[in-house]
Amino acid sequence: MMNSGSLTGGRSWPSRTSLTSSGKRIQKEMAELNTDPPADCSAGPKGDNLYHWVATLFGPQGTPYDGGIYFLDITFPANYPFKPPKVVFKTRIYHCNVDSTGNVSLDILEENSWSPALTISKVLLALRSIFTNPNPYKPQVPGIAHLYLVDRSKHDALAAEWTQRFAK
Amino acid sequence: MMDEQPKRSSPKQSENGEKGNCVFSPGFRSVAAMAGWDEEALLMASLVVEDTPDRDAKQKRRSDPLFKTPPTNSRRKRRDQRKSPVSLPVAVLDLDEEEVSREEIVEEKKEQKIVVDINSKKDEKSNESTSESSSIPCIDRLREELSCAICLEICFEPSTTSCGHSFCKKCLRSAADKCGKKCPKCRQLISNGRSCTINTVLWNTIQLLFPQEIAARKVVAGASNTLQSTDLQSPPARRRSQYRSVVEALNSPEGEQLSLERRRRTVNHNHHHHHNLRQQQSFRPASVVLLNSGAAGDNSVSRRRRRREAVVVAPPEQDEDAVLALRLQREEFMGAFGGSEQQGRRNSVATATVNLRAMASRAVGIRNHRGGGGR
Repeated sequence: MMNSGSLTGGRSWPSRTSLTSSGKRIQKEMAELNTDPPADCSAGPKGDNLYHWVATLFGPQGTPYDGGIYFLDITFPANYPFKPPKVVFKTRIYHCNVDSTGNVSLDILEENSWSPALTISKVLLALRSIFTNPNPYKPQVPGIAHLYLVDRSKHDALAAEWTQRFAK
Repeated sequence: MMDEQPKRSSPKQSENGEKGNCVFSPGFRSVAAMAGWDEEALLMASLVVEDTPDRDAKQKRRSDPLFKTPPTNSRRKRRDQRKSPVSLPVAVLDLDEEEVSREEIVEEKKEQKIVVDINSKKDEKSNESTSESSSIPCIDRLREELSCAICLEICFEPSTTSCGHSFCKKCLRSAADKCGKKCPKCRQLISNGRSCTINTVLWNTIQLLFPQEIAARKVVAGASNTLQSTDLQSPPARRRSQYRSVVEALNSPEGEQLSLERRRRTVNHNHHHHHNLRQQQSFRPASVVLLNSGAAGDNSVSRRRRRREAVVVAPPEQDEDAVLALRLQREEFMGAFGGSEQQGRRNSVATATVNLRAMASRAVGIRNHRGGGGR
């Protein structure tokens, strides 16, 4: 028993054979992000763990978030890409779709609207788009959504102030 | 073509001799005669003289598509001269041969464009891995286009949805299972994820375009199939299952003997695993008989126990066959991957895969046969 166990157990297989399908897919995405990174954002594994990533987003020009650098934590489930990754803002942001703990309300990140054909770079693109177009009708913070709808200039001023304070 | 035929058939010596006449002045010839140079040595000298300054021009000529346009007389003649002197073991000839092989590679590359034949592809894929990607100009676009959006690899056994999007059959199936019956690309309803069929045209195209990737994935798929069928997902899992069966065995009265027997058999496996599966097959009944005779000494209940034991013994036996097949597959797979980096070992990869297939199918056959016979 010992012998047969050590036959395969003692050998270090290359990553491509020992990786699960989710690991393989995440590696592929990582390679793709490295070769062809999307504009104004970056993402990669935090440490050795392939399933735990850090991403950065730059606040787009023409928005109150301009100049801010936002850090995000991305956690992949074991059955990725069949289940969506979890995305959490680590930098505080004044945004109706991001609450104080960093949870994001983004439709494609919800379990039943996620698609396995989506990738992290598409998720980052979607996150970038909520900087320019917040969705006040599906808010994470209703107060900010209300202000956004009622007094846009005040909302923008507050958001810019938060950007200055937390994201620079 | 016709006029050069007689020349080629005539002895090369005279032709080269003539050449020597024009190259060397009469003075040189007389000096050579005085030095005792014979016809052959002079010939060699003429070849060397003729060959050296020609090198640059030759390099250019090599890139010409020689096989398409019939070479002109002069070219053919010069080439013949270079190749002809079988009697002259000159170092220059070795250089030439090296270049000829390079030339052949160029030829192969070009052939690939023209001949879209499975057989020729199979022959070339083993020794033409680098040129494969460069032969088709938009291969990167094709790779992207033919990739599965779910696993991001080249579609393996692609299945096309009613909305026209293609994915690996397996990927589409698990997507339908885990994310609902809608197209991952456009969210249209898929009629039934279970009954997805392979898009044969697409699958054949992919196999023609990316023979290596597909071959590698086939090996992996085969290995994972073996793994799944024997419930041995990974080495630790395998060890766990072995541990479980050993615990089972220890709980039974004949346990010690059984585990001993197992150990002995695995040792035996280690000795023989490269030789023949049939040998092991013939070995097995003897071991069972031995085990049974040991158990028979126990008492009267042993008969029922023996039957149970036979059931216990059979699965590990199959396990080991499957494991053996898997290990062989993996070894070949590793060999194939290690070898692809080295030019020299490429040819062996093709034969290795053939051997591997044969061995794996034999192992599966034996297993099936045994599984059918044992129960």
